[in-house]
Amino acid sequence: MKIRHKDFLLEINVEELPASYVRPALDKLKNAFIERLRAEHIAHGDVAVFGTAGTLICYIKDIQLRQEELSHEISGPPKRIAFDENNNPTPQGIGFAKNQGVNIKDLKIKSTLKGEYVFIVKRIKAKPAKEVLSAIIPEIIKSISFPKTMKWDDSGIRFARPIESILVLLDKENIKIKMGNAPAKVIKGVSSAAYLKKLEKSYTLNQDKRKIEIEKMIKMAQKKLGLDESIDKNLLEEINFLVKSPVLVIGDFDKKFLAIPRDVLAASMSKHQRIFTLSKDGKLVNKFAAILDGKGRNIADMKKVYGNILEARLKDSLFFYNEDIKKPLLDQTDKLKDLIFQKDLGNMFEKIQRLEVLSLFISEKLNIEALKKEDIRKAAHLSKSDLLTQMVGEFPSLQGIMGMEYALKSGEKESVAIAIKEHYLPKGLDDNLPETIEGAVLAISDRIDNITGLLGSGIEPKGSFDPFGIRRNSQCLIQIIKHKGFRINLTSLIDKAIELYNCRGGFKTTLPYKPEELRGRVINYIKERLEFLAPDTKPMELKQSVLKSDCNDIAGVFKRVEALSEISAETYFLKAAKVCERTSNILKGAKGEKIGQVNKSLLKEDLEKEVWKAYSVNSLAIKNLIKEEKYKEATRLYGEAFFEALHKFFDNVLVNAEDSSLRQNRLAMMLAINKLYTNDVADLAMLPQIVVQ
Amino acid sequence: MRKLSFQEVIDKLNKFWSNRGCLIVEPLDTEVGAGTFHPATFFKSLGKKPWSCAYVQPSRRPCDGRYADNPLRLQHYYQYQVIIKPTVPEIRKIYLDSLKALGIDLKAHEVRFVEDDWESPTLGASGLGWEVWLDSLEITQFTYFQQVAGIELDIVPCEITYGLERICMFIQGKFNLFDLEWHNGVTYGDIHRQHEIEYSRYNFEEASIEMHSKMFEYFEKEANALADKALAYPAYSFVLKASHAFNILDARGAISQNERPRYIARVRSLAKRCAELYLSSNP
Repeated sequence: MKIRHKDFLLEINVEELPASYVRPALDKLKNAFIERLRAEHIAHGDVAVFGTAGTLICYIKDIQLRQEELSHEISGPPKRIAFDENNNPTPQGIGFAKNQGVNIKDLKIKSTLKGEYVFIVKRIKAKPAKEVLSAIIPEIIKSISFPKTMKWDDSGIRFARPIESILVLLDKENIKIKMGNAPAKVIKGVSSAAYLKKLEKSYTLNQDKRKIEIEKMIKMAQKKLGLDESIDKNLLEEINFLVKSPVLVIGDFDKKFLAIPRDVLAASMSKHQRIFTLSKDGKLVNKFAAILDGKGRNIADMKKVYGNILEARLKDSLFFYNEDIKKPLLDQTDKLKDLIFQKDLGNMFEKIQRLEVLSLFISEKLNIEALKKEDIRKAAHLSKSDLLTQMVGEFPSLQGIMGMEYALKSGEKESVAIAIKEHYLPKGLDDNLPETIEGAVLAISDRIDNITGLLGSGIEPKGSFDPFGIRRNSQCLIQIIKHKGFRINLTSLIDKAIELYNCRGGFKTTLPYKPEELRGRVINYIKERLEFLAPDTKPMELKQSVLKSDCNDIAGVFKRVEALSEISAETYFLKAAKVCERTSNILKGAKGEKIGQVNKSLLKEDLEKEVWKAYSVNSLAIKNLIKEEKYKEATRLYGEAFFEALHKFFDNVLVNAEDSSLRQNRLAMMLAINKLYTNDVADLAMLPQIVVQ
Repeated sequence: MRKLSFQEVIDKLNKFWSNRGCLIVEPLDTEVGAGTFHPATFFKSLGKKPWSCAYVQPSRRPCDGRYADNPLRLQHYYQYQVIIKPTVPEIRKIYLDSLKALGIDLKAHEVRFVEDDWESPTLGASGLGWEVWLDSLEITQFTYFQQVAGIELDIVPCEITYGLERICMFIQGKFNLFDLEWHNGVTYGDIHRQHEIEYSRYNFEEASIEMHSKMFEYFEKEANALADKALAYPAYSFVLKASHAFNILDARGAISQNERPRYIARVRSLAKRCAELYLSSNP
């Protein structure tokens, strides 16, 4: 039987890629192959990718050795034009055949809805897979994108690091691919399957297996030593691409370094030396786990070197720490005047002054007790002082954490210290949120000050480029408010933040925008993130309809989305939605009308009096239910109060009456009913197809 | 093999790179923060002419002083700098061979290339490459230059910067650099301890802020004046002096975070002027 499939292997040998580049590159490699082979009509089996910092491999099972035979039809002129009545070709017929490069006898006739037409069938010559692969591999390799690329020779090619060589095997056959000046790697007489097997024997080829292997090694050692079984997932992922054949070494260091705050120790170990911290009952112990590459090393020697290097580094941390704690944190705040916050936004001292006022403002709105209020103010005052310490200078990621450590050392209250640490939380989407009220209030102040200041100074995210983190800040703000269930009016908060920038508090920084304009911009960014963070609803439009009404109370938005999701299938909910929809439709058609208050004396028809009666009787109760956040009850009452009355009214009374005073009065009534619900709960008119059974 | 002394390591590296076609040039006689500042790297990386050399460069980082109290940190130390332009495909293998030539057993120990995209903001130089780790001890900075003085390079040079003390620590199995053997039983500490202590005190406590502030201005002015007269090398030497004055001011805590980027930008724009001057006569 003729062989139609062979296994394919591509190996890109490259000078060590940054560990974080490998996994995304493998994903791209795999997807690019699948996509290109599909486009080229070459069938294949499983596609697997394997990678280390130095090699990216794509292995494709059963690649079909030729493209699929393909043909397609090209239609020409109608038959009556291409051929005369004697069935001889006309000049037009001959022209078409000539243009398509076929003989007259190859022209076919096909009857279509429009009559009989001339057409031809063109076959696309199937190319051998080898030829196609030679053409697409360089393109696939070039399509792998990296955060940063470089050039290294005069070929002009760019990649994350220099490409050393490229090996391509179609079973035993080498396909020579050149990328820039990098030579093709050639292997004689070894099949792709055998080559892969050989690699598998020399190291753990599969990155997922390798990761599990490392994790197991560490956990087993932890178990054996009676230590906590936990592992730094980010470091694990990085290490996994720094080694090929992992070997574990457990080493130790002098106990005296345990005096250094935990996060500093951890940063020294995991960030600078890429070794794992070990702990017992949640506390770090003077041991570490290092993952080395390759067997047959001089483990005893290496262990010594790792330990010595660690101690030397820790000595430096201890030096910074001891230098920093010589001065109380409080004494540092004055020096914040020398530290710029952002271009055009003054210095860090002004920032903490704003934070003090803002957090006090929030505290008052939340009715926080006096003692806590003072702690929050103190924390705000000290919140940025650690930026001046040597430790944060050396490890910027420790901002807040060192602030907490040094605040405690300076004799500040624990709640103040924790608030300093927590005000930077969450650092990412999945990070912990501030738990204490003090920390949360300060965190909100800092975020709103950042967003307002940045947008106010003309900085704005562009596409996915958001270098100053305006979106991230907005997102964090929402997460914190939601998490703590704080009921704060967003507009008043933003106004306060703008006011603080605009001199009234005695600060120098002024923002170039009009307050209303800036407020609108800030709200837009927060709303955009709110849409992103609010849980999805069924139907999707329910979420949008909640966001269309008042969003000033972020925690309330989440409550409303949740409450309405639960009742969205109820008849009374649909009735309420119908009320919103009908009133909203009639108002949409009344643009430009003067709509004022409802004038009772202008109500003529019984049916409109009925509707207004329903309003008079129920509006206060509905408003109260909304105020009490009983959205279910509010929606029920709203739907039941107006649905029937409005239905009859619309069927029998012409809203758009000739008499403008009557018309405007009726519209006023519609507006009042509409706003009663849509202002503060949700604009349910946005829901699709509202049908009340 | 007998463990190499500090001076023997330099000797071996000179021989090694000399045998591979590098000129061995001498250190620059001005205070600099790194071997990259030497005109043999800064200027010679520019333009299209090939260039390969190696040299020891005494380097000063006033902020890194620790009063001889830290086993890894010094305000004055030695770099061994290799610059190969254009880089060659087997450069990393050659580099690993140089480690073997120093008697380091690469089978028993692990060499790791850890991502590090190097950058010198004052020189406007940047490149992609690695820190080279030997059992987690950083012994070399390995960089493919992409830019110098903010100018995109036509020909990519490879810069290999060995931390001489670090390598000796590894070779001699000593984890305090003051205990390293310079040669014949004389230690690094014998030669440098007092120097470190006194300079740490000078950099952090005694250097005149007023004088260095003024000097910075003078040096900047002189560099510009010389650049106006198209004297690239003398102008550049004043850029280096300005850069060192800035480093001293920084160590003295005399530069606010606010001013820092502006100082750096001033040095960088001077360096750029010099680079452009050099390029105009050495395309």
